[in-house]
Amino acid sequence: MESIPLTWEEVARVYGRKIYNFAYRLTGNPADANDLVQEVLLRVRRGLANYQPGSFEGWLWRITRNAFLDDVRKKQRRPTAPLPDEVDRWDLASAEGADIEYARLSLGDDIQKALLELPVDFREAVVLCDVVGLSYEEIAAAVAVPIGTVRSRIHRGRKMLRDLLS
Amino acid sequence: MSHPSELISAYLDGELHGKELATLTKHLSSCGRCAAELEDMQRVRSAVRSLPVLEVPGGLVPEADPVVVPLRQNRGFLVGAAAAIVAVVIAVAAALAPDPGSVSIDELNSRFGARASLDPAFGPAKIVEPAVFGE
Ligand SMILES: [Zn+2]
Repeated sequence: MESIPLTWEEVARVYGRKIYNFAYRLTGNPADANDLVQEVLLRVRRGLANYQPGSFEGWLWRITRNAFLDDVRKKQRRPTAPLPDEVDRWDLASAEGADIEYARLSLGDDIQKALLELPVDFREAVVLCDVVGLSYEEIAAAVAVPIGTVRSRIHRGRKMLRDLLS
Repeated sequence: MSHPSELISAYLDGELHGKELATLTKHLSSCGRCAAELEDMQRVRSAVRSLPVLEVPGGLVPEADPVVVPLRQNRGFLVGAAAAIVAVVIAVAAALAPDPGSVSIDELNSRFGARASLDPAFGPAKIVEPAVFGE
């Protein structure tokens, strides 16, 4: 029997880091990752009241990816995102290579950049699998698609990454 | 020859079983193209898995557990007092908030409500004055 965290604070403490890393790898920047984590915790807090015993992690990741997807949709409705800003950020990033903390964070910059090039569905599947560490079954439940779709998205996502990184 | 390449990632992830697993294993032993793809996928998979785990920025997630003080006698009083503190905290916070739109009562209630009932620093004796909260 799976034990269920009782309060949203406990959920935040136990899963906060995973949610943050999911959010960061999908959005590619700390500000959006912070916003997303806050939104997820807000939804968890509201949702816990009506939580039906079952797979807690399934429930949590469904909430998390739905929050991410809502965010993506919201941004798509906005008139042209400031793309040059994004480019500047990366340029700045490589210029600050001396900073040790940054050097640690920028380890894997090319991988992060490649991830952001993937269509959302594929990025999400790869991140849930390789960053969060969910099984295909858990991903299928979170994303609400058949397991065969998960399998194909992960494989195609990885192939796109290979082409982007080569 | 048809290449069951869609099975390759599932194979790497240990998500392939039974007949499909047998099919792919057999195929890999005789197909250079799929064997090469397996190697590529393995490399990509480890690259993504090697991304550093980032620490959550401070303040984003609530910190250490507050000390839980067991409610002894006068439980009714303490619970009532805690609720009263919550009301005061909400009222004060709402009054002090520069932009009412940015602070939800629900948020404050949940954040301070739990503290008020669990944290000894929020002891009712210090805050609750009979003149205000007495019967
Ligand atoms: Zn083949």
